[in-house]
Amino acid sequence: MPNEEKLSLCRRYYLGGFAFLPFLWLVNVLWFFKEAFLKPAYTEQPQIKSYVKKSALGLILWVAVLTTWITIFQHFRARWGEVGDYLSFTIPLGTA
Amino acid sequence: MGSTCQLWAFGFCHLLFMNTSDSEEDSYNERSALVQSESPTIPSYNQDHDMSLPQETDTKRRRPVSSGLSEPGPVEREQASTPDGEEEELTLKYGAKHVIMLFIPVTLCMVVVVATIKSVSFYTEKSSQRLIYTPFEEDPNSVGQRLLYSLLNTIVMISVIVVMTIILVVLYKYRCYKFIHGWLILSSLMLLFWFSFMYLGEVFKTYNVAMDYPTLVMIIWNFGVVGMICIHWKGPLRLQQAYLIVISALMALIFIKYLPEWSAWVILGAISIYDLIAVLSPKGPLRMLVETAQERNEPIFPALIYSSAMVWMVGMADSSNTDSADDRRRNEGGARAQEGVESEDDAAQGGRRRYSTEEDLEEDRGVKLGLGDFIFYSVLVGKAAATGGDWNTTLACFVAILIGLCLTLLLLAIFKKALPALPISITFGLVFYFSTDNLVRPFMDSLAAHQYYI
Repeated sequence: MPNEEKLSLCRRYYLGGFAFLPFLWLVNVLWFFKEAFLKPAYTEQPQIKSYVKKSALGLILWVAVLTTWITIFQHFRARWGEVGDYLSFTIPLGTA
Repeated sequence: MGSTCQLWAFGFCHLLFMNTSDSEEDSYNERSALVQSESPTIPSYNQDHDMSLPQETDTKRRRPVSSGLSEPGPVEREQASTPDGEEEELTLKYGAKHVIMLFIPVTLCMVVVVATIKSVSFYTEKSSQRLIYTPFEEDPNSVGQRLLYSLLNTIVMISVIVVMTIILVVLYKYRCYKFIHGWLILSSLMLLFWFSFMYLGEVFKTYNVAMDYPTLVMIIWNFGVVGMICIHWKGPLRLQQAYLIVISALMALIFIKYLPEWSAWVILGAISIYDLIAVLSPKGPLRMLVETAQERNEPIFPALIYSSAMVWMVGMADSSNTDSADDRRRNEGGARAQEGVESEDDAAQGGRRRYSTEEDLEEDRGVKLGLGDFIFYSVLVGKAAATGGDWNTTLACFVAILIGLCLTLLLLAIFKKALPALPISITFGLVFYFSTDNLVRPFMDSLAAHQYYI
């Protein structure tokens, strides 16, 4: 794949991730990690590096947000009563 | 579930056996599948044996189709260019590699299906809902009526498939590429979002896990969108392969759930026969499709094909040479669940345009298998797991399918033309299933009961 195309792909994946798609950012990081950090330098590499770094940042942010929310939900779901049920997709049976 | 029919529109299973050779540079091993989004995004695997022959003798680096055995065909063609012993050895090596490259995804798909069947009871519960393609309800009480109804269901299903395939061929002949592409995108949207949503719901219910809507929406949204991007546009090869496997597994699970018991077995048998006819007979729709594509020097319509390696085309001087550059053997049955473009071939096309002059670039083209094949293999093994007595039956079916796949690849190497991937495997699978269930299982049971170890 020519380097310009790699750059363009990396950029598009980075931009796409803003549509609530941390998974896309993860794919971006994993796919272009070697390109950005382990290959000998070429002209487009610094830009790819920056995109990978920014994607990683965004990914970490999203992971933090999601982890927090999931922890809160799992812990307090039963206590929230009706709101908890309303938010739930599946409700475990046989537990409080 | 009526819309699953759409997914049957595009013929049957392809097994493409690609010419292989080592890639010279590491970058070509990057294995990023590039799928271009412009239409016609049709893969170019229409290299027929005949068309590639003139170029075969020219390009000395070109390896013949790899297969597990030495065939007279490619070997004699290659005699002029390369030493025999080395050639055969390479052929053998690549052939074995290709077989393994297909074993792994097929196995993974089957493992996913069997694991789901065994753990999530939803897919084995019989529901009152049925696919509209199997309108006759089987009455478990009367054998004769059950048999009759399953035959009728099969006839309905097969005729739907035939009609869909013919529509597809007609659409292709009249160049309605946008329509086909749109249809594929719609089908893949449904698979990636709706079916996976159902699947997740059932898994969570089975494991009694609380899941909230916001998280669920995030998961499904991410899974679906990245899937669409990977399959229909560009994405890492491994991810694309994984998505194709997951989609096939989801589709197979839907079939397992919604096809009535006996109808499923008869349908499996009938589809293999249809596959055989459609691909091999001169007036078969799939064969016509292939030939039309070859006439136009175009890649075949976008269908879901699983490809196991990246293709960087060996240099071709210009696009008119594209056909001859690779001898791809196409084993075509048709592609069932169809969405999206075959990334491999698009990459190939892209690669061709880019590396036009270097003839000593070699590529590792890997093997291709249509998703319909994955789906029906998994349906067979899944049903064996669901209704068969124990693991013996499941394993026997699994082994049978792999043996069938091996043989099909072998035949492909020998005949070097489009071959259906379903018949041999499904036949073996069915034979093994019924014989294991009815002969081996009682035997093993009574051996165990009498504590007699053999």
